[in-house]
This record gives sequence, C-alpha cells and structure tokens, in this order.
Amino acid sequence: MEILKVKDLNFTYPQCSSPAVRDISFTAERGEFIALCGATGSGKSTLLRLLKRELVPLGDMSGSVMIYGKPVCDMDGRTSASSVGFVMQRPQQQIVTDKVWHELAFGLENLGTPPDEIARRTAEMASYFGIGSWYEKDVSELSGGQMQLLNLAAVLVMQPDILILDEPTAQLDPIAAADFISTLKKLNRELSLTMIVVEHRLEDIVPVCDRLMVMDKGSLIADGSPENVISSLKCRPDILLGMPAASRIFASLGAEGVCPLTVRQGRDLIQDRYSGDIRSLPEDAHGHGSDPALEFREVYFRYDRYSDDILTGTDLKIFTGEIFCILGGNGSGKTTALSAAAGLLRPYSGHIRVFGKKLKEYKNRSLYNNCLAMLPQDVQTVFLKNTVREELSECGADIDSFPYDMEGLLDKHPYDLSGGQQQIAALAKVLAAKPKLLLLDEPTKGLDAHSRREMTDILFRLREQGMTIVIVTHDVEFAASCGDRCAMFFRGKVVSAGTPRTFFPQNSFYTTAVSRMTRGIFDNAVTVEDAVRLCRANSGKEDAL
Amino acid sequence: MRNFSDYDPFAVSVWFFAVTGMAMFCNYPVLMLISLAGGILFFLVRNGTKHAKSHLFFFMLFAVLAIANPIVSHNGMTVLFVVNDSPVTLEAVLYGLNSAAMIVGVLYWFRSYTQLMTSDKLLSVTGRLSPKISLLLSMALRCVPMLRRQADRTADAQKAMGLFKDDNIIDDIHGNIRVFSAVTTWALENGITSADSMAARGFGTGRRTQMRKYKLRRSDIIFMAVTIGLLGVCVAAAAHGSFEFGFYPLTDRICPDTAGKFGIAAYALLVSVPTIIETEAALKWRYLKSKI
Repeated sequence: MEILKVKDLNFTYPQCSSPAVRDISFTAERGEFIALCGATGSGKSTLLRLLKRELVPLGDMSGSVMIYGKPVCDMDGRTSASSVGFVMQRPQQQIVTDKVWHELAFGLENLGTPPDEIARRTAEMASYFGIGSWYEKDVSELSGGQMQLLNLAAVLVMQPDILILDEPTAQLDPIAAADFISTLKKLNRELSLTMIVVEHRLEDIVPVCDRLMVMDKGSLIADGSPENVISSLKCRPDILLGMPAASRIFASLGAEGVCPLTVRQGRDLIQDRYSGDIRSLPEDAHGHGSDPALEFREVYFRYDRYSDDILTGTDLKIFTGEIFCILGGNGSGKTTALSAAAGLLRPYSGHIRVFGKKLKEYKNRSLYNNCLAMLPQDVQTVFLKNTVREELSECGADIDSFPYDMEGLLDKHPYDLSGGQQQIAALAKVLAAKPKLLLLDEPTKGLDAHSRREMTDILFRLREQGMTIVIVTHDVEFAASCGDRCAMFFRGKVVSAGTPRTFFPQNSFYTTAVSRMTRGIFDNAVTVEDAVRLCRANSGKEDAL
Repeated sequence: MRNFSDYDPFAVSVWFFAVTGMAMFCNYPVLMLISLAGGILFFLVRNGTKHAKSHLFFFMLFAVLAIANPIVSHNGMTVLFVVNDSPVTLEAVLYGLNSAAMIVGVLYWFRSYTQLMTSDKLLSVTGRLSPKISLLLSMALRCVPMLRRQADRTADAQKAMGLFKDDNIIDDIHGNIRVFSAVTTWALENGITSADSMAARGFGTGRRTQMRKYKLRRSDIIFMAVTIGLLGVCVAAAAHGSFEFGFYPLTDRICPDTAGKFGIAAYALLVSVPTIIETEAALKWRYLKSKI
C-alpha cells in the first residue's frame, strides 16, 4: 500500500542560484525501511525537511508531497504533526523538558490528548523501549544513546504513519549507534513502521534496509535494493566510501555477481574466490622517535574521594612523531586519561610527563604554549567568534601552513559548517598554539566517510611536520587506517597495544570489519585497501607482495 | 498510611501556605512560638541531625534580627539600660524577639517546602493552574544546568587550546567573558533545534493538556478539608480581633479570649498535622512488620 508519494519536488533556498533539491519523485510503500545517503551538501536533509510540513525551510518549493493520497499542506496542524515523526541529529538539543516522563508526554500534551490516555500511551511506550527504569530520571543524567532512544520514543508515542530520521546516530558512539539501528529494524519488523533514514555511516544500516536511495547534487541518482544500487555505483568511489566494507571490497575488485553486504557474505566471497597462498602483507616500517612525547607512570585518578578509580595505575608511553590511537568502550577512562594528559584533571598518584618534563613543572600555563594542545569532543566549545576568519586570526593561526585549503570556509559562521568542516576549522584553530603534541578526542564523531578520509590526510601531513598525535576514539576503522600504534583501554588501564596489523587481528570483537571478514584466510588484513591488495595478489592480477 | 511527602503536592502546598500565611499576617506571640517550634521540629523529623550548618545559619539570623530591633528602635516605656545616650527598652527587645521568631519560623517552613516539592511536584501544581507556565518552568529547570555544563566544557576546551595565555586575573576575566559570549551563541543556535523539535511534535497547534502524574486520593481530600477547616477557625479568630497584639508603648499581656483560644488550638493542630501523619505511618509500618 502506498503511503508516501513525492512528485516533481524542487526546492531552492533564498539567494541561491541552483536548487538544493531537484526533480525528486518517489513513492514509499507501507512498512518500507528506506536508507537515504549522499555526500555533505547533496540535499538529503533538505529533502527530509520538505517531507515534514512543520520543518519546511524558507525558500521556493514546487511539486507535491502526499501521505495516503492526501497533500501534506492540506492537513490540519495536529494531524500533520502526528502523522510524520521526525528525529534529528543532536540528541541533547531535541529534548525539550527536564524529566524523561515529561518528554514522553510532551507531544501528546501538545495535541490536547486527555490526561488518562497520555498516561496509558507513555506507559506503553516506556515498557516497549525498556525506559521503565529511568522513567523518573532527569534527562541530564542520560547517556547520548539513551537520549536518542528517548527522542525516538517521544515521537513514536504520537503514533506516526511515517518516521523520518536525520542522521540519528551521528553523535553516538559506534556501539550505541548499532543498538539504535537495531531498534529501528525491530520497530520496522514488529510494527511495520515506514521509515526514511539519512545516514552517512552506512556500515550498520545498509545490510538491514529494504531500499537504498542515493542523492547527488540535489537529484536522486540511484534507488533500489542495496545490492543493486552498490553494483550500479561501482564507478563512483566517492559515494561507495561510506558503504559496508564487504561491498567496497566487492566494488574495488570489480567482481561479478550479487554484492555482499555483511561480514558473512564478504567472507564467503573472499573464501570462494580469493583465498590462496599469499596470506599476509609485509609489515610497514614503523618509524618514530626514540624519546617519549607523553608518558604515564602508574597514574591513578578518581573524581572524588568516595568514587571508584577511573585511571587505575595507567602506564603508557607515546613516542615523538607517531600517531597513537586509544580505543575502548564507554567509561573505560580514555577521555579521562586524555584530560589528565592535558593538565585539566590532576591525578592523585603517579606522574604524567610531557616531553620528559612532569606536568607540574610547566609553570604559568607554559604547557599550552608551543607544547601541547587538546581538541575536545564537542568542537562547538572551541568556537568563540562569528566567522571562521575572525576565529583563526584572533588566535594567530597560520592558514597557509595548514595542510588543508580553508578558503571556502573562512567567511562562514562556524555553526553553519558541516560536521566535518567544523572539525577541520577547530583543528586549524588548535594548531595556532603550535603544539608539538596534539591530543584529539573523538575527531571523527559525526563525520561522513569523505571527511574522515580528509581528516586522516591532514593528520598524516601533520605527522610529517614532526607532530606527535594522540587520538582517543571509538572508531575502529579510523584507528586502523591512520594509527601508527593502537592501544585498547579497559577499566582505566592499557590492556594491549601494537601496530594496527598486529593489534587488530588479535582482537575478535573489537576490531575492523575487514579483520573479522578475513580471519583465517589472511593474517593481517585490517583495512579495505589491505584486503583488496591481498585478493588481487591471490588472483594473480597484481604481482606477489 | 502514606508519608507526608507522598501526599498530593497541591494539598501539601495549600497546607504550607496556610501555616506560613497565618505566621506572616499575624504577630501574635503564641502563634509565632508555635510556628517556630513546629518549623524546627518538622525539619528535624525529616532530616534528623543533618544540616547542622543550616541550623547554625538560622540561629545566627535569629540573633541578628532579635538584637537589631532594640538597637534601631527606641520606642517603649520600660527602659532596661542606656547605651551611648540611647535607651534600650524592654518593648523593643520583645518586638525584636517576636519578629525574629516569625521570620526564622517561616524560613524553616520554606526550607522544608523546597525539600518536599521536587521539580515534578512543582510542575504538577503549576500545571493545574496553567500547562503553559508549567512547560516554561520545566524548560527553564533543564536549561540552567545545561548552560552551566556547557560553560565549564568551553572553558576547559579553551584552556587546553592555550586561550588563557597567562596565569593572572585579568587574563582569566577576559577569557571568561569570551566563554560567556560563546555559550550565549551556542544556546541560541541550539534553541533553533529545540524549537524545531517542538514544532515537529505539534507544539502550538491548539490547547495543551497536562499529563497527571499524581491522582487525588481520598486521604488527600480529607487532608485538604482538615487544613481548610482549621485555617478557617484561625482566620475567624483573627477577624474577631483576638490576635491583635500591641508592643508599644507598653506590651500587651497574653490573655486570649475564647475565640483566641480556639484559634490557637486550631493553629497548633494545623502545624502538627504532618507530624501526626508521619507518626501514624511509622506506627502502622511497625505493626505491619510485626505481623510479617
């Protein structure tokens, strides 16, 4: 049954010459799970907003959006608000009230639902999502994943016909993100809810969606089952960059047949066609200085006297000139370790040395002059001015020496940039203090695959300039592609460390998709490029390594 | 058999304003004494011996208020002694003690009231008056700590980026002003997201309703009726003029008439309602436990 029909939709923002959304027509059946992807600025978010009447931006719109054959613009306010549910990117900012139960009731209160029915529906929704145990809590006590689940539940309580989600997992860590996606799948399967999801981290969503739509420069360039869409986009590596690893290997090898999406399917493909005698890649020479840039010796830290230790005798040595990635789950103490290294938290026992000198010996904030700088997780805390240009000139940043062309960003407000651009602008600002040791906390949060690659390139060039970089991240794929060494943090300690090609194949779960896919077939393939090289070598297309 | 804090917030509020209202609008010493003693007792029953600092603060306040009046006011006929040519009178001392008892008593009551009325309860009370005000309050309650956390994070971020160049006060102030302006921008920018999220969920499409978390029970209604009845007796006594009391030039003697006696008894009963409720609950629990 046709639930949504979009016909000849065009939209142009005021003072823009070209339309942001161009001639888009599609229909959605009831119960379809549609994933929509595309590069930053391809018009995905604009399209989603055009589907939700309350959020249509200012500008010229033509064409029609119909739900159950009825134009959206003819609906009355309450029907339109409740028939299309909309979940946005930032979990915290979408929440309106101060208590979990009140947030759940908020939408129904707006619609003038009788109090008894509000109580019944919120209770039902809370039980379905397992919110019961935090029903009475303050929203500020929730984690990002819980907040986003609350946003979802608060929309579903209004019983929408269609659910639209605009990058719902962008601000979540990969584990919370995977949980969120599986909740969506469950809703789709059990309630046959129609969903349109925009995502740029496609590893989790592509294998579970029914239909994949790809947008480029405002138009729809592909629409169909994920396997077919990926096969048809083989010549567009820029778009494939965010797809699941299995499908990227498939596309890079130019293989024939059905495109694999999951780790299992990818494994079958490699096992059947590319397994051979060549099992491992030669280890890259790992060059770094001999002096430690950052050293933790038996560091203990806790937030207050009666709480538990967060850092439990952390020992860590990071050498000059290397990119060191610290991985680990939520609450493992990674970010605390980074804040301690930056001198923002003071351990109660043990020493932290930066370039051989104890933190205490850096008097009068000399630590932050030409020595160490940290980029926090939420880059919005970095910006203080109205344009990027003011931002950078204020702190005396040298734009020319920054290994990225900032020209296009300079006159924009920092908040108007995309997630990736914000991260890069923040990085440029941090570098103004000319640090020799750079600490980054989750630099890839909310970034699409393209921006992640750009970030990796920038970091490589900074390393060439002699900088030492420490990255705390959840993003296993990113750590595998850019780290010289990776370490796993667990309960305030480093439990294992090594180069990506020794580190990841040791781990069974906390490792890259490619490593899981090629386990037992290849010995040290970690990234898609590794796997492609090995497959090519085995099929004789490339010289033996 | 409920604890006093489990009673309906609206009923509790009515009771609180009855007790403090009587204390604030009369200056009859007996009522002041009952209110002060009741306020302290209620706070102790709920908190035990914790909050020693609060008690110290209230005691100091009492002392300051009681001493201030005779220093400033020299009305009254009975001169106790003379300091620097200004007489200190017995009447002024008594008046000071009486008003100090009134103010400190009411402060004790409000201290307990803020403990009892968590934000949920406050919202439910305001929501019955107007769902809009209640929503505004709820958003404000969330906003203040959120801005504070963001300001802390911004200050930390700027510090680790070398924004505060030197370790001196002027530089710190400069830095903090900039952090403040950045947080303001952040709040406005993110306000747009919140506004979108509200519009998307049908805010402003018509009259709002309010989810009721607390259901009025029979005991709430009885409690409210008792409160209003006792308050009625007190107000009647006050209207009759039984609680009029003069300090100057000569302090009246305390000899209440019949209406006054009834009024005092009613007020004493009103003040002890929660203690009675708590004791009853405690006894019942003990009885139930012994049965198990």
